[in-house]
Amino acid sequence: MKFIGSLMRNMPFLFGIGFIAPLIDQMIKHFGLNPAGSPWSLILGLLIGGSWGVYAIWKTPAQ
Amino acid sequence: MTAPALDPVTLKTLSSQDLMRLESEIARQFSGMVPWGSVAWGLCNLVVWLSLWPLVLFGHLPLWAAFPIATLNVMLSYLPSHEAQHDIIGRPGEPLRWLNELVGHVSTLPLVLPYRMLKLTHLEHHKHTNHSELDPDIHTRAASAWAFLVGSLRNRQPGGQAQTSYATTLQRLGTPQARLAMLEALGLQLTYLAVLFACALTGHALEAALIWWLPRHIAATYIGFYLSWAPHHPALETGRYRDTRGFRSLVGNIGSMGMQFHVIHHLHPRIPLMKTPAAFYALRPVLEARNCPIEGL
Repeated sequence: MKFIGSLMRNMPFLFGIGFIAPLIDQMIKHFGLNPAGSPWSLILGLLIGGSWGVYAIWKTPAQ
Repeated sequence: MTAPALDPVTLKTLSSQDLMRLESEIARQFSGMVPWGSVAWGLCNLVVWLSLWPLVLFGHLPLWAAFPIATLNVMLSYLPSHEAQHDIIGRPGEPLRWLNELVGHVSTLPLVLPYRMLKLTHLEHHKHTNHSELDPDIHTRAASAWAFLVGSLRNRQPGGQAQTSYATTLQRLGTPQARLAMLEALGLQLTYLAVLFACALTGHALEAALIWWLPRHIAATYIGFYLSWAPHHPALETGRYRDTRGFRSLVGNIGSMGMQFHVIHHLHPRIPLMKTPAAFYALRPVLEARNCPIEGL
């Protein structure tokens, strides 16, 4: 239960890097804004998703 | 008891007890039947939503077409379960009890809301409607539709009231069923996240976002607006005849998923959704005699 609690507490960060980042990467590629093979869209996604997740954890009151 | 003529003057002469008896007598005419429409709605809606995944992933349906269908599916996924929450499809011990529980459990899967948690918290909502601390849905209270929309987005952020109110209610109940409901909610949430992560890892983040993640957020806003904010607005009064209102929706009765007549549901929760308009018009004189808020109908 402690592990699950810790997992849920950090879920916004995991969601940011595990879903939002690939989503941003895929969207940029979908609209042809990233040259093939370039990792910048994924890096951008990780920056946005990761920082968003960290911010969400910081703003979440401790249970 | 012979039903008296339902004119306002006659109704005013009735005692509260006689008025209640008359109300129950009329309401009984609209309950007790199996809502087959809601059963078909719940099961078909889920099948359509599930079918979107292979259709999109195998290239048979473009994602831009799947997105509005998925959004509609998730928006429509709550109400069949709501019928089951009130045991309308089959009560304990009845032959169709299994169908009641099946519809209840499966129809809200796209919303990532488990039936047991919804049922327990929804019954608390009925018991404590508009109570500032005990109503699990009180976080939808807002001064205007715009304030609701802003609050809805804010409440869905980590730590927001929409995230915590059901858990708080289940903790307050503290029963074995409530503990089981918490575990189910956790399991369903983790499964949902695992699916999103798996889709993202395999290069299908956009598909997952437009078939599940974004439709779920749009649906949560729509459901919160029409099933909670609109029928209880301004949500300041408690009491059987004052906590829910009848109202005229800009998008009509179907567009608001029948919630114009939600007052009937709160007074007689075992009347199926599709019977609430007819029940409302039959009961209207009684509702007026009870000074129920009815606006624009």
